[in-house]
Amino acid sequence: MRKTAWITASIVVLAFIGLVDATYVALHSSRGFLLPCGLAGGCDQVLNSPYASVRGVPVAWFGMAFYMTTAACALFAWFGFEQVLRLSFGLVSLALGFTAYLVYLQAIVIRAFCDYCLLSAVLVTLIFALHLWSRCGARV
Amino acid sequence: MNRSSDEKSRKIKQPEVASRSLAKPLSALAVLVVVALIAAMFLARRSSPETPAAASQNVASLQKPVITPEGWSKGNLSAKTVLVEFGDFQCPSCAAARTKVDNALKKFEKDLKVVFKEFPMPNIHRNAMVAAQAAEAAGKQLKFWEMYELLFSRQNEWVNVPDPQTFFLKYAAELQLDVERFRQDILDGDIRNKIFRDMLEGQVAQVRSVPSFFLNGQMMQGVKSDTEFEELIAQAIRTAQ
Repeated sequence: MRKTAWITASIVVLAFIGLVDATYVALHSSRGFLLPCGLAGGCDQVLNSPYASVRGVPVAWFGMAFYMTTAACALFAWFGFEQVLRLSFGLVSLALGFTAYLVYLQAIVIRAFCDYCLLSAVLVTLIFALHLWSRCGARV
Repeated sequence: MNRSSDEKSRKIKQPEVASRSLAKPLSALAVLVVVALIAAMFLARRSSPETPAAASQNVASLQKPVITPEGWSKGNLSAKTVLVEFGDFQCPSCAAARTKVDNALKKFEKDLKVVFKEFPMPNIHRNAMVAAQAAEAAGKQLKFWEMYELLFSRQNEWVNVPDPQTFFLKYAAELQLDVERFRQDILDGDIRNKIFRDMLEGQVAQVRSVPSFFLNGQMMQGVKSDTEFEELIAQAIRTAQ
């Protein structure tokens, strides 16, 4: 399998996991069910904090939109429209910056971590790394 | 002649090919999004108390109550040993219990998570509910524990007044909160729902008085001294390890 194909397939898988993660948290913020939070233990604090939404729109919704767009770009690249990865790279770079800000808020301002937000941070970082890798090659 | 007809047919076919090649990624995206939504909804259903499975779990929980480790927390948030307190801001014993909890937290800083759940008893404490709302409203601005401290340490100021909110607004200003937002949040429906959820959890767990403590889900009953209180926590930590 070509390098680009490997990369796009990996991005699709990561974006899928991210989409499930963001949708789950978005459902939580609309329905208010109990969110299991075994690892970091601070989901309640983080998701009930004022930083969990931007002008009334839950951050998880932005996550859903981001992962959906990233998955779409990767799928288009997989089916031959490799130039869309450039657009995706711009978006992922923005998302990485926003993710860094969210991790800073959790660590310094809220002083609690949320499992689902940390998972998303890992996914965004991996997707960014894959984009970088694809740009290092000659094919993309 | 042949060449021009080839070009014509290519021109006609091009949009068809383009739409066909667009169709594949779009269909794949649609499948991916639908599967992701189903997966998230499945996970949410498993966590939701409104599902039949969770409802039966709730019925079972009436026999064996489950105390969730979620709520306003301090200490090591990922600790295996969790001390849950059901408290009422107007209750003098709850104010006094702070020292006991803080001492335990200092002693077992690395191994203990302390969670505070609202259990106002408005029948006997007329300002308890609004005090709980004030603490939660401060929590919305990340100052729950600071407001908790003020409400308990200055209980005498507001317990017997007809309009305790005047004091709470003063405390909010002292904590440098956005006072206007705080004033609105005190009346917020979500905050009241959160308090009612805590109260319901306490009622199911047979909380009859405040403060009531649960150590890893087990109610701490008949604890006679602070030493015994700390010894029970130490035992729970040893068991968890």
